[in-house]
Amino acid sequence: MSKIGVFVCHCGENIGATVDCARVAETSGKLDGVAYSVDYKYMCSDPGQSLIKSAIAEKGLTGVVVAACSPRMHEPTFRKACAEAGLNPYMCEMANLREHVSWVHEKGEATTEKAIDLVRILVEKVKYNQSLNAIKVPVTKTALVIGGGIAGIQASLDIANTGHKVILIEKDPSIGGHMSQLSETFPTLDCSQCILTPRMVEVAQHPNITLYSYAELESIEGFIGNFKAKIRRKSKSLDEKLCTGCGLCTTKCPVKKIPSEFNEGLGMRTAIYVPFPQAVPNKPVIDREHCTYYLKGKCRICEKVCPTQAIRFDQKDTIEEVEIGAIVLATGFSVKQPDFFPEYGYGKYPDVITGLQFERLASASGPTLGEIRRPSDSKVPQNIVFVACAGSRDEAKGIPYCSKICCMYIAKHAMLYQHKVHGGKSYVFYMDIRAGGKNYEEFVRRAIEEDGVNYVRGRVSRIYEKNGKLIVKGVDTLLGAMPVDIEADMVVLATAGVANNDAEALAQKLHVSYDAYKFFAEAHPKLKPVETNTAGIFLAGACQAPRDIPESVSMASGAAVKVACLFSQDELTRDPLIAVVNRMAPPVYSSCVGCFLCVSACPYQAIEKEEIKNRAGEVIKTLARVNPGLCQGCGTCVAFCRTKSIDLQGYTHEQMYTEVMALLNEY
Amino acid sequence: MDELRKRAKELLEAGTVKVVIGYENGTAGRTRALFAEEPKAAEKLIFDSRCIMNLASYITKAEVKAKGKMAIAATLPVMRAIIQLASEFQVSDNNLLVLGITPESTMIEFKDIAEVEAFVHKYEIEIEAKYSEKLEKLNKMTPSERWNFWIEELSPCFKCYACRAACPMCYCHKCTVEFNQPQWIPVPSHDLGNLEWHMMRAIHLAGRCVDCDACYNACPLGIPLNLLTKRMLIDAKEHFGGYQPSIKADHLMSTYKPDDKDNFIM
Ligand SMILES: Cc1cc2nc3c(=O)[nH]c(=O)nc-3n(C[C@H](O)[C@H](O)[C@H](O)COP(=O)(O)OP(=O)(O)OC[C@H]3O[C@@H](n4cnc5c(N)ncnc54)[C@H](O)[C@@H]3O)c2cc1C
Ligand code: SF4
Ligand code: SF4
Ligand code: SF4
Ligand code: SF4
Repeated sequence: MSKIGVFVCHCGENIGATVDCARVAETSGKLDGVAYSVDYKYMCSDPGQSLIKSAIAEKGLTGVVVAACSPRMHEPTFRKACAEAGLNPYMCEMANLREHVSWVHEKGEATTEKAIDLVRILVEKVKYNQSLNAIKVPVTKTALVIGGGIAGIQASLDIANTGHKVILIEKDPSIGGHMSQLSETFPTLDCSQCILTPRMVEVAQHPNITLYSYAELESIEGFIGNFKAKIRRKSKSLDEKLCTGCGLCTTKCPVKKIPSEFNEGLGMRTAIYVPFPQAVPNKPVIDREHCTYYLKGKCRICEKVCPTQAIRFDQKDTIEEVEIGAIVLATGFSVKQPDFFPEYGYGKYPDVITGLQFERLASASGPTLGEIRRPSDSKVPQNIVFVACAGSRDEAKGIPYCSKICCMYIAKHAMLYQHKVHGGKSYVFYMDIRAGGKNYEEFVRRAIEEDGVNYVRGRVSRIYEKNGKLIVKGVDTLLGAMPVDIEADMVVLATAGVANNDAEALAQKLHVSYDAYKFFAEAHPKLKPVETNTAGIFLAGACQAPRDIPESVSMASGAAVKVACLFSQDELTRDPLIAVVNRMAPPVYSSCVGCFLCVSACPYQAIEKEEIKNRAGEVIKTLARVNPGLCQGCGTCVAFCRTKSIDLQGYTHEQMYTEVMALLNEY
Repeated sequence: MDELRKRAKELLEAGTVKVVIGYENGTAGRTRALFAEEPKAAEKLIFDSRCIMNLASYITKAEVKAKGKMAIAATLPVMRAIIQLASEFQVSDNNLLVLGITPESTMIEFKDIAEVEAFVHKYEIEIEAKYSEKLEKLNKMTPSERWNFWIEELSPCFKCYACRAACPMCYCHKCTVEFNQPQWIPVPSHDLGNLEWHMMRAIHLAGRCVDCDACYNACPLGIPLNLLTKRMLIDAKEHFGGYQPSIKADHLMSTYKPDDKDNFIM
């Protein structure tokens, strides 16, 4: 006979002001199998928990229903309280009277009735609860960091400095990400490369970091503390051990007209190349799409000139299998490219460029060695227009959000222009200036007040060419929407920051959620900004939303601490709320017929085949078996199994059925 | 079908297979399943337009499997069922040899089930016009009209489970209707109980039913259950790129691909 205790919480006014808690407790007290019921102002407080503990001891409760807030908040609290009083923690269930009742309904009779119903179904469920034991799993203390931009670099260094191993994978030939392309950085105007490259070198030299550049995640399985990853190391056509990084090959390669990704197409590179002089690792790769040998079967000049015979034309991609305990996703972002802005003539007029291209023009390592010269004829533009929110905050373009970094880098660009082109005139078309951040507003004011940048509040409707000039048509909304036409020599678009093209595919591979714009989703917008909804996978930098460098770095350090916390334990305990395939006496063994459709249904690859053998060792039946370490308790297999051979502990068929029946039956 | 009889006999004589499953003449002008274990019994094999029962429903039975390697005279729907069963690990090349009967009534002996699949995939599963018209009509009904239609159609069902017995895909040892802890599907054959039984059965056949109509043909009351499974085949085509049984492809209902259509989500 069950002896269930029902504990109804007022949550101060949160529940108490809307639900008649006293009545909920009183009615529950009369239910079959309920031995004790009480209401209290704050059940999660110490006296509240003592109420539960003493009732368990005094009344000999066999089950507990706490009717309070969401189990997401306090289930651990109450389960722990039960355990302390000697009751198996999994004999405790929570009815959510706050998020499911008081916060979504008006005060009234029906609302209290609903609260009673929720308690009733859980009272019936608890009657079928079983004592369960937590599952313990070991932790592999190696982290995988995906993406070697500043966020990935920082996260790798921080984790490595706590003494744990890190594997950093970067899809490009070098780490560095967007930051390596920047000239100077707001709000201090210090040189981006100067502050970044020491970190890149540190990564390369750190004894705890294994860097795989030109590598991508092939597949992943497992769960927090116990992931298994396959990493595809794309062939560089190079024996990296032999290559000394002398660079002779890159000077002799006859294919010299490939638009350089690093220079955003404003400069050229060879087919065998190092993306930029400070690249880490500083060893070339052969771009097989452009290499004459791979295209036509002839050339091999690099092979001939290489003093250490390091070139390997027949090298294949290799797959590295690694075991890791945590993952930091730091794959960054992209900026919107040509074709997206037909109205601004991008792609049609060579002198309409993106902000990132401007960075390359302004950079001392760039194609113009830091002089602001326009792409079409290398002339120094005397009139330059910067267009903010190109694509961003534009419902029609499908990007309603603010890209956040643009206001700041436009101010930076305009300032750099004024410093480099004396007597030049610069204009900024903007919607609002968003300069929230330490020293950010001051930075923008400096651009306007000290460097004389002309800020025009209004959108640009069109850009077209006339007599060799780019006519920028806009309005000044501060002057009553007066039309403004500017004859410019060059136009820079602050194109929207967007998620990478492969972000969605990567998120699906990792079972990480993402938002409507394919940026990876944090577990809680305020309290869990660097966690994902998948345990053991963390976020850093612009892969979660457009972020500037200080934010990316802070996130990276935050994610690193989360990883370090995880690695501070030798074992993880997990809730035993997992699926189990039934077992029966021979000759049946199980109602499972071994169709293994559940294997393909399980999103966590948790179901395996188990062979039942007779004494002679012959297989007499093949059944499904759930690996308790891998199962996440999602229940997909339960819904899928036609023979109802799988049950989810804590949410069994019986428990679910009883809940439904309790709801349908009068009390 | 001399060819079939001859080959069946040879196979039994050589001991390549222990039993040949095919059709023989039954009583009252009907046909029934033949399990030929002796070469002589193979002479009783027949094939004509009356042979519509899906013989694949026997190859998952423990007592048939216990005889040893099986050969089966398989029409297109039977071959489809064999492929689906192989993809569910219920039969394999180790215990089954397929003597295919083509739509032109010629025999092909297949090397393995992969070959059967290659042959079967030359033919799409097509819903006959009389059914698609009926389904189109059903689709146009209001939900309550449709509800009444099904309550009425299913109400005579007295749960003899002949449909289940005839269906090659209903091979589970313990069907959901027999699951009694808890009893999800009510045992009595009242209107709601019947509806639940048939909805459950239909959904368990989604992405598995090979459209052989054996269930419908078996029903002593002529209940048009195959309308439910045909509906799902159409849905499979409209939303999931169509159904073809396959030992290589992913199962229609249990796998997700990033480029799956999601136009059915409301
Ligand atoms: C024009 C412009 C100017 C800017 N100026 C400033 C400034 O002055 N100050 C400032 O604070 N911020 C500035 N920013 C913002 C700054 O660039 C970002 O904050 C920073 O780059 C974010 O770092 P990240 O590591 O998160 O992403 P990223 O820099 O984008 O790095 C991501 C890395 O991950 C790699 N990667 C991507 N996908 C995969 C994959 N699937 N597998 C493996 N590797 C992958 C990429 O190749 C890349 O190396 C500017 C941005 C732009 C566009
Ligand atoms: S548990 Fe169910 S779905 Fe899985 S193999 Fe067994 S019968 Fe098939
Ligand atoms: S509940 Fe089933 S489907 Fe979900 S993770 Fe566990 S085994 Fe896989
Ligand atoms: S064969 Fe007909 S009567 Fe029998 S259970 Fe099936 S539908 Fe019902
Ligand atoms: S449900 Fe009916 S049509 Fe479908 S495979 Fe089974 S018997 Fe054949």
